[in-house]
Amino acid sequence: MSSRDKILSRIEANKPDALALPNIDLSLFDEGLDLVQEFTKKAEVVGANVIDMVSNDVVAKVENLFPDAKIKYSAIENTSAFNTIDLANIEKPQDLEDLDILILESELAVAENGSVWVTDKQLPMRVLPFITKHLVIVTSKDNIVPYMHQAYHKINAGNANDFGVFIAGPSKTADIEQSLVIGAHGALSLTLLLK
Amino acid sequence: MKVGLFIPCYINQLYPQVGKATLELLEKLKVDVAYPSGQTCCGQPMANSGYEYESVGACNNFVDNFKDFDYIVTPSGSCAYHVKKHYNIIPQTDEVTKVRNNVYELCDFILNILKVKDLGASFPFKVGVHKSCHGLRGLRLGSCSEVVGPRFSYIEELLQEVKGVELMPVKRSDECCGFGGTFAVTEEAISVKMGKDKIKDHLESGVEVMTATDTSCLMHLEGLVNRNQQPLKILHIAEILNSSL
Amino acid sequence: MSHPKLASIFNKDEKKVDWHDKALWFVRHKRDKSVHHVQGWEELRNLGHGIKAHMLSNLDIYLREFEANANKNGVEVHWAANAEEHNQIVHKILKDNNAKKVVKSKSMLTEECHLNPHLEADGIEVIDTDLGERIVQLAKEPPSHIVLPAIHKNKHEVDELFQEHLGTKPCDGDPQYLTGEARKHLRQKFIEADAAITGVNFAIAETGGFVVCTNEGNADMGAHLAPVHIACMGVEKIIPKQEHLGVFLRLLARSATGQPVTTYSSHFKKPSDGRKMHIVIVDNGRSEQLSRPDFRASLHCIRCGACMNTCPIYRRSGGHSYDATIPGPIGSILSPGKDLTKHSSLPFASTLCGSCSDVCPVKIDIHAQLYKWRQIITKETPQPFIKKKSMQVMGSIFAKPKQFEKVGKIARWSLRTLPKAVINSKPNAWGKARDLPTGPKESFDDWYKKREENKGKNN
Repeated sequence: MSSRDKILSRIEANKPDALALPNIDLSLFDEGLDLVQEFTKKAEVVGANVIDMVSNDVVAKVENLFPDAKIKYSAIENTSAFNTIDLANIEKPQDLEDLDILILESELAVAENGSVWVTDKQLPMRVLPFITKHLVIVTSKDNIVPYMHQAYHKINAGNANDFGVFIAGPSKTADIEQSLVIGAHGALSLTLLLK
Repeated sequence: MKVGLFIPCYINQLYPQVGKATLELLEKLKVDVAYPSGQTCCGQPMANSGYEYESVGACNNFVDNFKDFDYIVTPSGSCAYHVKKHYNIIPQTDEVTKVRNNVYELCDFILNILKVKDLGASFPFKVGVHKSCHGLRGLRLGSCSEVVGPRFSYIEELLQEVKGVELMPVKRSDECCGFGGTFAVTEEAISVKMGKDKIKDHLESGVEVMTATDTSCLMHLEGLVNRNQQPLKILHIAEILNSSL
Repeated sequence: MSHPKLASIFNKDEKKVDWHDKALWFVRHKRDKSVHHVQGWEELRNLGHGIKAHMLSNLDIYLREFEANANKNGVEVHWAANAEEHNQIVHKILKDNNAKKVVKSKSMLTEECHLNPHLEADGIEVIDTDLGERIVQLAKEPPSHIVLPAIHKNKHEVDELFQEHLGTKPCDGDPQYLTGEARKHLRQKFIEADAAITGVNFAIAETGGFVVCTNEGNADMGAHLAPVHIACMGVEKIIPKQEHLGVFLRLLARSATGQPVTTYSSHFKKPSDGRKMHIVIVDNGRSEQLSRPDFRASLHCIRCGACMNTCPIYRRSGGHSYDATIPGPIGSILSPGKDLTKHSSLPFASTLCGSCSDVCPVKIDIHAQLYKWRQIITKETPQPFIKKKSMQVMGSIFAKPKQFEKVGKIARWSLRTLPKAVINSKPNAWGKARDLPTGPKESFDDWYKKREENKGKNN
């Protein structure tokens, strides 16, 4: 017998009688959050910089926030003038190592934890939001849902993703004596532009 | 209502004053209380050490002594919890079930069965409460800091009514003191360290008298206080509630 | 060595114990602050418990569903009955892909299987990329905590370690500088890696996908840069549906560190074009644990580490005192299932205070299981004669009131009469640092009888 069959038959023999799957009653968690306020608060808690956009000019805002950035890439529509690299010329993801700034769009944000959801749909290459020095994510206030439960309802209702990630703030670690240090392996900063 | 008084073995032998205070307190509250003389121990020392089967005789003796009472009251959260939780090792006769259902820790009994809060006691000291674990997390005699929900504490509710008591908040109000039965001996180093930390927390919080629902925790803490000659008095909650200083 | 021995060695340096205790209490405190603000937290824990219990009762079905969906996604699924087979499978995948340099993000499973030495024996470089894990790897130590692997090391020790291995400048233990240097060092390793190994936090039967949570971004840096991604998971990591992540991701980070969610919760489903993704599903004793009704709930564990942070013993004895891959309370109920004799002291490394069970996000009755393991250990492993005998004697004394009375009298007399030096002498571990109570002349029993007699006379 293969290990697969051995494992599965042992589990079948050893498992308890079937137990019902509990229902998730969303009303238990509902506390009538002000979504924008809560999202902003939690995103700041996890170390993101949240900016309420007055104009729609994302590129101008980013140029203004990161005047020294040299290698830049934006994956959102109508911003190609911002780009200093052409992904078509990137042979392997390792070549993105010097990327200073990346702009992405997100269609889903979660108030309770300040995270934003990014998928293959917005990511020409998966490593982009991790390898860039600074990450800017643009999202609309209408995209904010209260809790992770609603977030998954939205994800399940949309097209299936091959890869997706909730990003909450910049990369961080507290592995040395519990001191929080921003910028472990991923992005050193996360700026959220709320439209 | 007939109440049987259970005095844990170590209180009976080493801290009779706690037993006396408990009895006097119940009598003051006009409870029809009796102390069956054939009682010994709830069986916990053996069971927690992994020898549950050696505790069967103790369990049976406990049930024999207390089966005829409406309530069984004891100045120990830990023993009450043991009877409730672990007397599943003997056949569940009606008598056993009755005993398990009706055993109460003292504060719980006063507050929730007698429904009395003010015992007319007076005790003019700064008091720190150690929330003994089996009472707290086993019997739920109060809320613990891990669990989300309304805050409450039976022992503190009763203490608040005692004239002159100043309840001193401590930093880690519901961390274990390190007694743990045979743990106190088998894991001596950690047990002692936990006890020392608990005492330090109370001393730093300005506590003059430390109290708890369980003399077992207090015996361990008192042993440390006495050895290190620290300025902290240790009293069981029954002694404070029965006090008229 | 047994837990009490290792714990007493750790306790020789009281300042270090205080420091370790405070660091972890701080994490527990952050967890409290975070969860007390979540409406319905206890219901969320109930759901976590209920979903996991349901999953275990249908585990074979969900594993098959997961495998079928993962295969559809173009992911290759492997099965390992034990640690050795797991290591061989990973080794073979690496060899087939000519991979010589491997980056690994945190996976307690690969620690459990001792994967690194297996691969290193064949000249493969394995770099642990989680900062804490890299620190302990450089120090040639196992992690002492499942979420904070280097929590037993202070910043000065890390400083020295990095000077020696990474050539950093002395910095008086500046965490910012040390983390920055580790970033540079590991960035190079990510760029050069031929393969990435990650753990799995949750594997979703419904989609065949899996989720990996990190704060540092190391799992993603490894998995997206290297051409081959191998994800290793225990059979119990399965959850039925994607929507259940809504429950578990709400519980996990809050319980672990007090964060509302980890920085990166990465959902892997299909490999990107031209890349390979493998999943290794490991049993290694889990199906046996599933067969034990009293202990199967230990398989609910989502590895948040909250029981370690809250455990007053763990905080004062350090993770290494458990001498097991998973230390602390949860480790003390998992490890005896693997090797009862080796880990026989672990279920006794607890006061049964119950804090672990109350803090557990999936409501594992940890302290109740510790109690139950004790009952098994005293029957199935050799016990010191003196312990066995004294329990037997105690049992018979407490069964008979007359004997209890006699023994009590003698004990009180001894405590009252014998010199302190005798009472607290060496065989008495109690008396090393604590006084015993003075034995009163009269037991409660004596006093009560007298009082009743006097009542009779007065009437």
